Amino acid sequence: MWIEIAHFATLLALFLSLLLFGAPLAGMRWNNMAWVRVGRQAAFWACALLTLASAGLIISFMTHDFSVKYVAEHASLKLPTFYLATAMWGGHEGSLLLWAWFLSLFVAIAAWRHWDTHPVSMPWVLSILGALQVGFLLLVVFLSSPFVRLLDPPLDGRDLNPLLQDPGMVFHPPFLYMGYVGFAIPYAFAMAALITSQGDGEWILATRRWTLFSWIMLTIGIVFGAYWAYYELGWGGYWAWDPVENASFMPWLTGVAFLHSVMVQERRRMFKTWNLFLIITTFALSLLGTFLVRSGVLSSVHAFATDPGRGVYILMFMTVLLLFSFGLLTTKSDQLQGATQLESPWSREFSFLVNNLFLVAGACTVLLGTLYPLAVETLSSAKVSVGAPYYNKVFIPIMLGMLFLMGVGPCIPWRAASKRHLRREFLVPAIVGIAGLPAAWMLGITHPFGLAALALVLFVSTTHLRDVTGNVRLRMARDSLSAPAALWRMVGRNQRRYGGMLVHFGILIMVAGFVGSGLFQEERNLFLSPGDSLRLGDWNLTLESMGQTARRNWQAEEAVIRAERPGETVTLKPQKRVYNEHSQPTTEAAIHTTWREDLYVVLGDPVKDGVWAFRIYRNPLIAWIWFGSGIITLGVSLAMLQGRRPQRLST
Amino acid sequence: MKSPANKRLFLIITLLAVVGALGTLIFSSFTGALVYFHTPAEITAKAGELNGKKVRIGGMVQAGSLVKEPGTLKIRFLVSDGKSHLPVRYEGMVPDLFREGQGVVVEGVWRTGQDFAADTILAKHSEDYVPVEMSEQGIAKSQKSLLKSLQ
Repeated sequence: MWIEIAHFATLLALFLSLLLFGAPLAGMRWNNMAWVRVGRQAAFWACALLTLASAGLIISFMTHDFSVKYVAEHASLKLPTFYLATAMWGGHEGSLLLWAWFLSLFVAIAAWRHWDTHPVSMPWVLSILGALQVGFLLLVVFLSSPFVRLLDPPLDGRDLNPLLQDPGMVFHPPFLYMGYVGFAIPYAFAMAALITSQGDGEWILATRRWTLFSWIMLTIGIVFGAYWAYYELGWGGYWAWDPVENASFMPWLTGVAFLHSVMVQERRRMFKTWNLFLIITTFALSLLGTFLVRSGVLSSVHAFATDPGRGVYILMFMTVLLLFSFGLLTTKSDQLQGATQLESPWSREFSFLVNNLFLVAGACTVLLGTLYPLAVETLSSAKVSVGAPYYNKVFIPIMLGMLFLMGVGPCIPWRAASKRHLRREFLVPAIVGIAGLPAAWMLGITHPFGLAALALVLFVSTTHLRDVTGNVRLRMARDSLSAPAALWRMVGRNQRRYGGMLVHFGILIMVAGFVGSGLFQEERNLFLSPGDSLRLGDWNLTLESMGQTARRNWQAEEAVIRAERPGETVTLKPQKRVYNEHSQPTTEAAIHTTWREDLYVVLGDPVKDGVWAFRIYRNPLIAWIWFGSGIITLGVSLAMLQGRRPQRLST
Repeated sequence: MKSPANKRLFLIITLLAVVGALGTLIFSSFTGALVYFHTPAEITAKAGELNGKKVRIGGMVQAGSLVKEPGTLKIRFLVSDGKSHLPVRYEGMVPDLFREGQGVVVEGVWRTGQDFAADTILAKHSEDYVPVEMSEQGIAKSQKSLLKSLQ
């Protein structure tokens, strides 16, 4: 019953999306605002209907309606309620419906919030978003429907993939999709600005919060994914340069580039074409990310080709989008002349330009590594893979370069810096950075990349801290305030700048985590029988016993390990779980997290009677990665508090 | 003071240098990083040509071929593509999804005349998770009923 309601609601939403696409166009053709208002109403109703459709699918899960094919394939009677309610995005079809629902929600919010402020571009924005929504709903309704019924329904479903029965994987897709879909709004405003010849950059101010929102959602989504990989897959790492991870990393990189380069357009009226290029690319990569993961093309080009309907449709969708966007950009490029020119390499705009080049190079690296194997497989029968060494080789230098620019960018003035200014801003941080090298050597960091990263982290934190303390002192003297009051007022006056700096601090903390876990991870593979013990770092680990345990839909072999070090004793219980008595075992690593390091224990197979294989890792500073991403979220939230800033040009 | 034209040239040269360095970095890393995928039959056919190269070999773990050396993590098994099969050695913990009769991809350096010493075993985690009862027959059945419902 519910699934039919959901199906019907989606069909109606598709019809309304066509109206959302067509009515504003008709309104502009015959100069009749009534039609544009019809389009706006269609956006609201399409959102309501897709909300109903998503609710219908979730209710089908909650009521164990296994006559629905999608439910039968992704749930079972024993699946806990929490995972039942979130199994909606456990597979391709439901994920695409979730995507479409987010899109309709954001379109409705945009139609509501920007209606009064953007009378000229609004019809185009609505129409472009309507076209996207039609595109997605056609896919959901005709090629990837979650509403299909089974004639002879099974008594119980196939259950959700055990690897997905984890909180990290429950939250990962929705955040990722909110990020992907969110970029549609700035994209639509950018295109509308181009069509209506308003490329001077008002669209950037209008959509600044959308961009920040999308980027932080994408960031959170990626971190959830990394955390899940670390927590659930039991290989001691968090990022494997898997094509699925890469797909979300590409729009993230170009999104960072966009967030920085729009500031140059805002302040210096430069990079107009470049910014349009970046937002088109970011949104196109968001779509590519969805399609790569959701089309099955990654597991095998041939498997993908057996379902050519979906594949051809997706390729056509991407082609139309890219032709439309870049075609528009080239035909309208004459109105995008910059008002000013670059004057000096010692300027903020130049450092942002180089930062953009680094980020786009990073995105190209990932794109090449992800798509090249697909191209080879399609064009010849050969299969090829590109491994983690390639990405690490390219990304470590890029990351170091980015770190350096991160220290320079916020503190170098616009237009051109004098020698005196450069010396005043950067001499002390450079000395601090270099002075860190011998200290790092003594701490045992001997790897050149580790040393460079540490020196740069010190350099960046010094530039940022000096900027903050300098300004606080200035305000204390000028307005005779106490230090906290001065800090409060300073941040309150410019949430964007200090939000951005907080994001930079978050990145530094994450870099510490990358370096610590990347260079200093210790791994032990060994056999233990109850009573055996070993030393790892300053930990003393003892296998106390082996046993069995069970929950609602799984049972497990469980080891009990006591880990001791001076002043601390913890018990770790790694498991090998079997879900629903009839499937593959899955590894549940036991992790003890401290701010200094993680102790990470994986239970393997029995090697003979009473002896078990174990893999034990000591992962230094890995918690800093998760903590740093929290700081980044705070920083972006702070930056989002500030609405549109009064126009301030640096000419 | 430098003339504006000179400044402009300096800027452009700096930018080109950055772009060039990044491009070189990407392509020099890329060319050495490609690992080709082969089936056991292809390996047998091109054994000499592939000698000393890093390869991935994919197929099924032949049922009944998995031998564990007691007291160690050393295993031996045959990877088969139906036509030919290839002995593989590995030491270490295997992924959860690794077992006889299942698909597997092994990676390592191919040396002609020796068992393939894998340094990595990959068993893909797929979202289309299929427990035993619902395996191929189950899918065929539900597809049939789906076709019926469409008619």
